[in-house]
Amino acid sequence: MEREIVIPGQLLSENTADAGSGTYVRDGKVYSLLYGVRNAKNRISVIPFSGKYIPTSKDFVIGTVIDVTPSNWIFNIGSPYDGLLHASEYPRRVDSSQMAAIMDVGDSALLRVQDVSPAMKVELSMRERGLRPLKVGRLIEFVPAKVPRVIGHGGSMVSMLKKETNCEIFVGQNGRVWINGKDHDMDLLDNAIRMIMQQSHMDGLTDRIYQFLKSEKENEKGIVSADNGSVEGPVEANSSDEAKEDQGEISEDTYRKVDALLEETDE
Amino acid sequence: MSDKPEKFIDENGLRLDGRQINEIRQMKIKIGVLSRADGSCYLEWGNNKILVAVYGPRELHPRRLQKADSALIRYRYNMAAFSVEDRIRPGPSRRSIEISKVSREAFEPVIMTHLYPGAVIDVFAEVLQADAGTRTAAINAASIALADAGIPMKSLVSACAVGKVDGQLVLDLNKAEDNYGQADLPVAMTQDGEITLLQMDGNLTPEEFKRALEMCKEGCRQIMEMQKEALRNKFADDHLPIEVPDEIVETLDVAATLEDVVEENEGDEVEVDDSSEETVEEDPELESEVEVETGDADEYAAEEPEEADADDDILEVEEESVDLIDGEAGDEDEGVANEGSETREQ
Amino acid sequence: MSVLKKDYIYNLMLKGKRVDDRSFDQVRDIALETNVIDKAEGSAWVKYGETEVLVGVKVQAGAPFPDSAGEGVIITSLELNPLASPEFEAGPPKEGAIEMARVTDRGIRESGAIDLSKLCITKGEEVWIIFIDIHVLNDAGNIQDASSLGAIAALMTTTIPAERNGKGEDMAMPMRDTPLAITLVNIGGSLMVDPGRDEETVCDTKITIVSNQDGSISGMQKSGDGALTEEQALKAVEMACEKAAELRKVHLSNI
Repeated sequence: MEREIVIPGQLLSENTADAGSGTYVRDGKVYSLLYGVRNAKNRISVIPFSGKYIPTSKDFVIGTVIDVTPSNWIFNIGSPYDGLLHASEYPRRVDSSQMAAIMDVGDSALLRVQDVSPAMKVELSMRERGLRPLKVGRLIEFVPAKVPRVIGHGGSMVSMLKKETNCEIFVGQNGRVWINGKDHDMDLLDNAIRMIMQQSHMDGLTDRIYQFLKSEKENEKGIVSADNGSVEGPVEANSSDEAKEDQGEISEDTYRKVDALLEETDE
Repeated sequence: MSDKPEKFIDENGLRLDGRQINEIRQMKIKIGVLSRADGSCYLEWGNNKILVAVYGPRELHPRRLQKADSALIRYRYNMAAFSVEDRIRPGPSRRSIEISKVSREAFEPVIMTHLYPGAVIDVFAEVLQADAGTRTAAINAASIALADAGIPMKSLVSACAVGKVDGQLVLDLNKAEDNYGQADLPVAMTQDGEITLLQMDGNLTPEEFKRALEMCKEGCRQIMEMQKEALRNKFADDHLPIEVPDEIVETLDVAATLEDVVEENEGDEVEVDDSSEETVEEDPELESEVEVETGDADEYAAEEPEEADADDDILEVEEESVDLIDGEAGDEDEGVANEGSETREQ
Repeated sequence: MSVLKKDYIYNLMLKGKRVDDRSFDQVRDIALETNVIDKAEGSAWVKYGETEVLVGVKVQAGAPFPDSAGEGVIITSLELNPLASPEFEAGPPKEGAIEMARVTDRGIRESGAIDLSKLCITKGEEVWIIFIDIHVLNDAGNIQDASSLGAIAALMTTTIPAERNGKGEDMAMPMRDTPLAITLVNIGGSLMVDPGRDEETVCDTKITIVSNQDGSISGMQKSGDGALTEEQALKAVEMACEKAAELRKVHLSNI
């Protein structure tokens, strides 16, 4: 099915029961609020091409510390609203004098949004399996609207990427991805993610990325075969206790959200 | 300059540039032209050349400017020093400040500012070359740049002007008509014809005003079609179908891929549930979740879910945010910015 | 910028690589379009990678400075438009913008690129004033070199509008040289030309060298918090002169 591009103000339906996200109702009709793709799953919604990340409770995000107070780390989460991580939401007991020693300005971490107040005060938490400060690996940033593409149906894209590149991957819903593995593998994954960004609105994306990775690896085989084959699976370059704990898996409800968004627009 | 033409409309009813009285100038639109901006648009209209960038919603400093329940819109109309015949001093003038204000107000009714409390949406409109009708051209470009930035809006906004020359109403004034005409009526409208900007100078009878407004409406309608067309075509080239061989589709069976991952990770907890695919459709909670994630803006429903926990946190917010601003202040000075820079060298 | 990103870029550079796969002596792709603004007497739109700068030259008759009664006047301004970066703000010029305007200006002035004596209309009374206005549209790093190239290209296309002003016949801008700025950053002791924005953030020391057709130098500026060794300064000059010659040949020879 041809994907339909819609424009703010465009009439989507004459039935108010159809009004989904990214739409508004006026005089009994449903119109688009956004520039994006029409998604007619159950109700009609519009998936925007771009837009800033607006935090929602339970989202997984990747933040970078911009300030440390005696009781809070303040994180930039790529949003108009900064996030607060209270010391009590750190996995271990923290003395206020130790705050900056644990995470200082510029440090990044895997986090979860715990609560968002109506005034957009964003509370973060690290008290969950897999969430932690990041000491190694790379961060890649892109438009948050493209996050569903990186995750894929039921996590298909991210699973495939992990498998094909032997890297750890954590996808933050705020448009940041953390990857970790061998330099060479990260380069490959980095390129694959950039390709997803460039082609995010096109069909059959997972297949094309798979093909890309496959051909890249084949091209390299001849050149760097000696360099390969030593370690299997993700490389835990850092202190193993931290890295082993979790691969930064994406939760089930995230998959569901993503699926709903990709449904109909991904054929 | 006293190059006032003797006649603005010839015996065939054509204007100096060959247009009909109700014909608008050629328009050329490019979307997403600036890599740093969240949304951008380059627009040529006649000899006007306009570049608009949109940033935001983003954090607003200083905090006293913040609006607790909605985003602030800032609109900056600025002319490049070389955009007109006689160089103009860089920096805001009384004229550009007024235009910025009314242009901002042209967008206030359509932008869903209440979705972004405390934030700011910045619209920067640069007139690189001016040739009559810069404010309406800037609004037309800004409308597209806002859409490109993913800002939720109830409608695009389109703008054009009607003027009077030789006692006759003409649509979309050119330079000479603008300079020597008897009236100028710039108007911006939503798709429903709601007027969001209206200015007038010169002299019109009420009867003429009524007809002029009709002409503006028709002009705006045509312009909105061009804006929509440009937005629809932004990805036109990329939509070429790409062949995917069958075998690869098969190897990518989702369930199989997930199983592999589970195996690879062995003992580790893997929160992948194969059944999630099936449950999607029936899950009653799902819709609401999705809505929230994409910054849902169902006009009437949007505020409701937030009210639930609107009470006890508010005092705390004030306190915490003080930290927050202090923290930011340090970072801010890094970017050197300037407006109206003029360095006299000798 | 996050430490992870900084470290990544830095470590890459220590290995002799750059984020965009360029070599250390490679300038980004440049696109240059001249005469883009009809209202200006000369203009150039420069794309230096994703950095975009629009330079317009306006020429007006005015009074000379008392100490150079028979010479035209050059006034160079640079605006870091808030449109060009989320980090730029509207407001009066800040030191970075003023520095870049002055470095550009010095290169043009000190090289004698414009024969100012030919811009005299009536000695002591009236001369041509050349306004070079640099409008930064998108900051993806190294605004300085893009501005310098844009200013020279715009000047080369400038016509002195004498007829319109009733001051005799129009003439081309009396150009004698084409000074070009080349900026390098210091990374772990090596030098790298044309830093992108991330590279500018990671490297704390920049040096800009303005060189001329004959290989002479007419302006330099070290900027940033770090220091350079004598050896680096000399090496920078060598690299900059070479690059400037290359850019001159590719981008200015057919204007």
